[in-house]
Amino acid sequence: MHILLVEDDTQVGQFIADELLAAGHQCDYYGDGAAGLEAALSAPFDVIVVDRMLPQLDGLMLIERLRAGGDHTPALVLSALGEVDDRVRGLQSGADDYLVKPFAMAELLARLDVLHRRAAMAHAEAVTVLVVEDLSMHLLQQRVERQGREVSLQPREYKLLEYLMRHAGQVVTRAMLLEHVWGYHFDPQTNVIDVHVSRLRQKIDREFDRPLLATVRGAGYRLGDAAPQ
Amino acid sequence: MLARDVFSSLTFRYITKYVVVLSLTVFFILGAFYAYFSYTSFRDLGNAVMDELRTLQAIHEREALAGVERYIHQQTSAASMHRYYYLVTDAAGVKVAGDLPPAPSYSELDDGWLGFEMALQDWGGAVQVDFIARPIALDAQYQAIVARSYADIVERARLVIANLIRAMLATILLGIAGGYLSAASALRRVETINQDIARIIRGDPSQRLNVEDEKGYVRGLALVVNQMLEQMESLMQGVRRVSDNIAHDLRTPLTRMRNDLTLLRDAHAGGPAADQIERIIDDCDDLLTSFNASLRISALESGSRPLANQRVDLNRLLQDVVELYEPLAQERQITLSLIFAAQCACRGESDLLFQLFANLLDNAIKYTPEQGSISVAMDLDTPGLCTITVQDSGPGIPAHERKNVFRRFYRVESSRGEYPGHGLGLSLVEAIARFHGGSVELHNPGQEGEQGGLLVRVSVPAL
Repeated sequence: MHILLVEDDTQVGQFIADELLAAGHQCDYYGDGAAGLEAALSAPFDVIVVDRMLPQLDGLMLIERLRAGGDHTPALVLSALGEVDDRVRGLQSGADDYLVKPFAMAELLARLDVLHRRAAMAHAEAVTVLVVEDLSMHLLQQRVERQGREVSLQPREYKLLEYLMRHAGQVVTRAMLLEHVWGYHFDPQTNVIDVHVSRLRQKIDREFDRPLLATVRGAGYRLGDAAPQ
Repeated sequence: MLARDVFSSLTFRYITKYVVVLSLTVFFILGAFYAYFSYTSFRDLGNAVMDELRTLQAIHEREALAGVERYIHQQTSAASMHRYYYLVTDAAGVKVAGDLPPAPSYSELDDGWLGFEMALQDWGGAVQVDFIARPIALDAQYQAIVARSYADIVERARLVIANLIRAMLATILLGIAGGYLSAASALRRVETINQDIARIIRGDPSQRLNVEDEKGYVRGLALVVNQMLEQMESLMQGVRRVSDNIAHDLRTPLTRMRNDLTLLRDAHAGGPAADQIERIIDDCDDLLTSFNASLRISALESGSRPLANQRVDLNRLLQDVVELYEPLAQERQITLSLIFAAQCACRGESDLLFQLFANLLDNAIKYTPEQGSISVAMDLDTPGLCTITVQDSGPGIPAHERKNVFRRFYRVESSRGEYPGHGLGLSLVEAIARFHGGSVELHNPGQEGEQGGLLVRVSVPAL
């Protein structure tokens, strides 16, 4: 993945850049908004990561300018301001995701992966069936089958599995699941998500030889084998 | 304000003492003056009697007894109580002239003076009147006595003393009444200040005493108290700022550490150190969670951010929270029930409110023993107020701890070690409730010492 990183804090910026490189991505790193915008306009990137507060040109302004110019490269905003208002404003400006500092690198990597994949899939025609190995989900009939056998799921389990299948092969963090499956952004004090995932796992994996739903330590979950970078 | 408070006030006691001492002093000074004045009038009376005796003597020398008789007759015809009375006797003690009875029972006073009492005809009837008298020898045969009543002097003294005492009592009573009024007004002002300070202690430390309406030393006092509050507030903010800065500054290196540890863990995957690294990562996550929660509480309490104008459907929100926690409760065989007595919506932020109820359910599940029960209920019994209760069947919180558990990083002694946590859950709950203009209360519905569980009541203004 070719990633544009715009971050004014050199310590944080260098750290993220190093981590992205270590994860096998290509990363161009700029220290201010104006230079970042110029770079974004001059070369195509897969994903853009911008800090909210930037000298010369604010992160949200940068994205707005890009969108105004017809550029729909997926963008993720990093911010030290963490409350709902800022999230909403960030997403309204045209950003695709929002991450509050400090964050675990695994969280950022997982989100970038999802953004990249979603942008790539946007060009494909609308799907009616999701398939991960021998597990399939028929979106119109709301039916789930594994090896031809029907798996019956509760509504919330169905949504959880749908999200995991749409991001098959990618790491999905607990915060992402809470945001997208439950629709709330909050910090659980306990392993409440794990219980839901383990219930789902019981239904889709227990009677079969090969487990599909894996726990990725320190990050979250992944359905199916890791996708190639 | 009670009368008892006024009577026991310093001002009242001071004024009363002052008035009593002042009145007594004035009474004694005036009394002494009058005593001296009475003494002089008495002496003058004595001198007048002596003069009259000398006049009698002179007349006797010039005109003998006949002249004396004529003079006495002339003097006694005046109809006044306060005139001279006379008695002239011969050697045998027989009355020769005058209007005194021949032998009134004289008592000897000092210095040759005699005293006696005699009934005189007054307007109202007979009255006993005190006299002083002095005898003198006119010649070898005749003796004369001149007497004068001193009742007028005594009467005047009695009148003056009685009036002085009345004036003193009136002064004391009026003084005490005045003292009561001024003490009451002083007390009222002090009480206003007390109430203001109590309100500041209970709630908003940014409030100040009203200085405009005050005058004199009370104004000075209010100004000093305001200065003190100013300093207290800035100290409090300072402490909070320092702890926020610490949390804020530690987050970045901690995050970096956590990221490095994940790399290290991946490098040692399957090795002997992997588990240990995993535990360190968990501890890092713990610290980050508590720093973030602490900073969130500060952000909410500082009031720097306005409340978003979202309409939050509380029925739906509670259903979502309960649905999220249901599997966790089932895992411990806890019955989790949700009862709606009303439809309710409020103005606020759904993510924050979700966090509030998630924290409450987290706690409830944590402290409820297996096979216990938790019930979540919502009603609109108080108009304009959505009331949500979360009741568990755990050990509850002892009455004396209930106030403390809202303090940041505070944990009930008995739960330390036994249950995980940072002591921030309820602080965040309260901060979120207050941010929404609501409140949180804790109750133990069961008897003291019984396993009645804990009842948390959250109230937020309804939309």
